[in-house]
Amino acid sequence: MNVQVSTSADYTVVCVDGRVDTTNASELEKSMLEVIEGGGTKIILDCSGLNYISSSGLRVFLVIQKKLMLLKGQFRLCSLQPGIKEIFDISGFSSIFSLFADTEAAMNG
Amino acid sequence: MSELERVAAFLDELGEELGLGIPQVLSLNLVLEEALSNIILYGYDDKNQHRIEINFKMEGDQLAISLIDDGQPYDPTLRADPDTTLSVEERPVGGLGIFLIKKIMDKVEYERKSNKNYLILTKNMKP
Repeated sequence: MNVQVSTSADYTVVCVDGRVDTTNASELEKSMLEVIEGGGTKIILDCSGLNYISSSGLRVFLVIQKKLMLLKGQFRLCSLQPGIKEIFDISGFSSIFSLFADTEAAMNG
Repeated sequence: MSELERVAAFLDELGEELGLGIPQVLSLNLVLEEALSNIILYGYDDKNQHRIEINFKMEGDQLAISLIDDGQPYDPTLRADPDTTLSVEERPVGGLGIFLIKKIMDKVEYERKSNKNYLILTKNMKP
């Protein structure tokens, strides 16, 4: 897994690449929490390079979503690969997250 | 937990041997990660080394994966499915692992035999 954070005018864009699984989900959680603690409450998670996620990764997504809702922030996910979208559909996550086709759509949405 | 990486590598090889597509291999990887991490995280109340046996059997298009462990008795088939229609606020964090296994595989069977848990997961792998 590789996590990259970049900040634009309105949003913090977090790019997650590779696999998010039981062995590294806590690292993703830590990176995301650091963004929030640094004042970034409008976050776009770019999943274009994310090719595997297990329940421990889904857990992190939900934790961040709950946290940002409490802070009246925004959490938008974009560019989900078909396999990841399928897991989102099965879990009911597609209806509780804001999903966008790409970062541009997520910024303008 | 680091052993999970070996499982991923083994599945890549198995996928190639059986002619499975990448999405199928990733689904199997997910199923095995969920099943194994449950056993590793919750199955044991000691710090001893334990062995988890994983067998793969392909008959026609039917793939059967069995996991055998000597942890505490635990029947995942009895676990209630999460309510996937809840809102973000109501949605509890966690509890998705077994549900994903059940949704991805065609059949999930459990048996407790000679102090061991037997979890048998089957799926038709026809593309």
